[in-house]
Amino acid sequence: MQNKRFSPFVSSKNSIGKVMLDVIIALLPLCAFAFYTYRIWFLIVLGSALGGAILTEILFSGILLKKWRGILDGSAIITVLLLVFTISPLTPWYVAAFGGSCAVLFGKILWGGVGKNKFNPALVGREFMTVFFPLVMSSGDIWSTKRIRYVYEVEWFDFIPNAHWAEFLNELFFVPTGALGEYSAVFLLLGGIYLIFRRRISWHIPAFLLVSFLSFLWIFEDQNLNYSLGGILLGGIFMATDMPSSPSSPTGKSYYGLMIGLVAGLCIQFGAGFEYMSYSILILNGFSTKINQVFMPRTWGTKTDWPKKIEEVFLLTLSVLTVTFAVLSLHYYGYIPYLIYIYIIYIIFKFNFSFSKKLHQPI
Amino acid sequence: MMQIPSLKYKTKKQPIAELKDASVYRIPLQSYRSTLQPLVKIGDQILQYQVLAEDVEHQFAAKIHSPVSGKVIAIDEHYISLENDFQQQKITTKIIESQQLDLERFVQVLKDFGIAGIGGAEFPTNIKYKVKESNVKSLLINGIECEPYLTSDYAVMRHETEKLLKTIAVLNQIFQPEEIVIGIEKQHKELKKHFEKSFKNHPNLAVRIHLLPNEYPQGGELQFIKSVTHKEIPKGSIPANFGYLVSNVGTILAIYEALFNGIPTTERVITISGNAVNTIGNYRVKIGTPIRHILKELNIDAEGVDIVLGGPMMGKEVVDLDSPIKKGSGGLLLFKKQQKSIENCIECGYCVDVCPQHLMPMQFVKGHQEDQNLLSQFNLDHCIECGACEYICPSNLPLMQSIVLGKVELQKMMYAK
Repeated sequence: MQNKRFSPFVSSKNSIGKVMLDVIIALLPLCAFAFYTYRIWFLIVLGSALGGAILTEILFSGILLKKWRGILDGSAIITVLLLVFTISPLTPWYVAAFGGSCAVLFGKILWGGVGKNKFNPALVGREFMTVFFPLVMSSGDIWSTKRIRYVYEVEWFDFIPNAHWAEFLNELFFVPTGALGEYSAVFLLLGGIYLIFRRRISWHIPAFLLVSFLSFLWIFEDQNLNYSLGGILLGGIFMATDMPSSPSSPTGKSYYGLMIGLVAGLCIQFGAGFEYMSYSILILNGFSTKINQVFMPRTWGTKTDWPKKIEEVFLLTLSVLTVTFAVLSLHYYGYIPYLIYIYIIYIIFKFNFSFSKKLHQPI
Repeated sequence: MMQIPSLKYKTKKQPIAELKDASVYRIPLQSYRSTLQPLVKIGDQILQYQVLAEDVEHQFAAKIHSPVSGKVIAIDEHYISLENDFQQQKITTKIIESQQLDLERFVQVLKDFGIAGIGGAEFPTNIKYKVKESNVKSLLINGIECEPYLTSDYAVMRHETEKLLKTIAVLNQIFQPEEIVIGIEKQHKELKKHFEKSFKNHPNLAVRIHLLPNEYPQGGELQFIKSVTHKEIPKGSIPANFGYLVSNVGTILAIYEALFNGIPTTERVITISGNAVNTIGNYRVKIGTPIRHILKELNIDAEGVDIVLGGPMMGKEVVDLDSPIKKGSGGLLLFKKQQKSIENCIECGYCVDVCPQHLMPMQFVKGHQEDQNLLSQFNLDHCIECGACEYICPSNLPLMQSIVLGKVELQKMMYAK
């Protein structure tokens, strides 16, 4: 007998593919800037990461799990682009390939496929690279990219008589330092505006993240704080808004953005180095489910129990801060690799005994 | 709430057309949340407008009357089948003096004439209107037909304006509300002028036309009340307890027939439309008309299409072509079959954004699938089943299936405790 059909009998023309396509469109200008600055070097890094990711998809999603359809939904491309945008153009090809492969395998496939991951796959891939290739990834050399740069600065706004303003605008559009996705603050923002306009992300996360991070910097006025505007924008607009690993309600998103900004500030203040953005987003990813529960929207016609809610938010914030300082301590003593090893064991264990049995379930 | 292409232009301009009577009618015994008990036996000769069935035990569903005269040929648990003798021998009813109606008699009329919410739920109107007279703040007439395709309420407002206003005048006299509001969607704003022209015939009646955005589900009773009065009423409560009387325009028309013509609810206006049919329009149809008869009369080929009774968002799939039009059926829609493939939930949160009850619908899929505690934790019982979440979902998750079946599970859990 045919299954009973349930309403509705019409549907919007939304699809996962369209969501992914919009994100890719928003990321394309950043690709153009990376190519403009490092040409072949960018292509090598991107190509090897993409190759690693697609091979992993074919091997694991396709051949082993027989889920061929998901391979081409575009999620792997986004993961790889975001991963590549956080690393240096001098990253060796095999490290990039390893990163792309781990991002897809440990960030997505082992969780049960697209949408089921609790952590941002690109950042998971990045952490794997840092842990398994510590010498390459944390050496200062990898960031001295001057010798391979094709473009050093742009003079697009030099027609403006005020030299100060011209320089400011030039740098807003293009600064060739840092990771591959951080060169154009303006195009990072434009990408964000495009995604907000297309309703692929909501403004809450980036806005609250920026506000809290900048207020943190303002309160702890410290000249030595080392951060990049591009990095914050990339993290706030593209990484923290990853749908599966971020909360769903507007208030939940606001709190989540606020806390990422705060934790990122703490990470910089307490010496997490280049990792401040990855740490803060990954830590809050871990609390996403809990945030969804605590910041559940107020159901129609019901009243909020404020004392209870405040207590819940207080306890939640306390646990976020506890985890943050625990991670910072591990970082200080160089124990982060062990965290990753535990993660590997956990996720394989979970996949084996639970996630693999739910592959056919949509949620 | 959200915007949906309304596609009402297809049938909006159509008048209300008549349909030839069927030779057999199937009178539905299920209404609101009750089953009616038949008051007739197989073989009985019956008159037009005679009571056929009643919820004797609970009085929680409206009575149903015969749309034609003829003979009872079958009775089962869902339907009473009538054979039409085409004689139209009517039962004699007393003329009601609407000028002298008080609340008690009025509610009795609603009950006797089987008036129920035409908007879909078929909630018995006599229960809805049981209020203390002095307590009515607003009389709200719901002309928001937020379901796509449907224009039956529009047709009623457009072509039966005078009947609506006459009935509203009676309601005004009985309840003495502080205000009377007719809610209309902005896409039908030409109706405002149309109504205002008719107001001239009723100088003593102060009615305000309230235009509301074309959003789904603006016409849901709770959403409608909030949009007009800014008062948020929890699901499951009776609006009259808050001083609001809310009725669909179709229900007002049914009350008119009862008060002024002595005719019980035995017919209604439906829209026939959809993307798989060319003969579309608004039709006056008798309650109990088998769908097969309508399709035959209109020469519609229903082979290989999805047939939906009601609106595309909340309607029910028609499996049996002999099943009939009910009091709450606003439309008969035919859609080309479409294949939807279910993908993984990517937690985009679109369902949370559009849910009019501010719920997190994706949690119900998870809840129905593996963890039933989520169903109550995320307030499934507050869901009004409008279908907005599934409409917007990019992964085509079976949200409504999880919600409908999840509610059954919730009930079971309640009984278990």
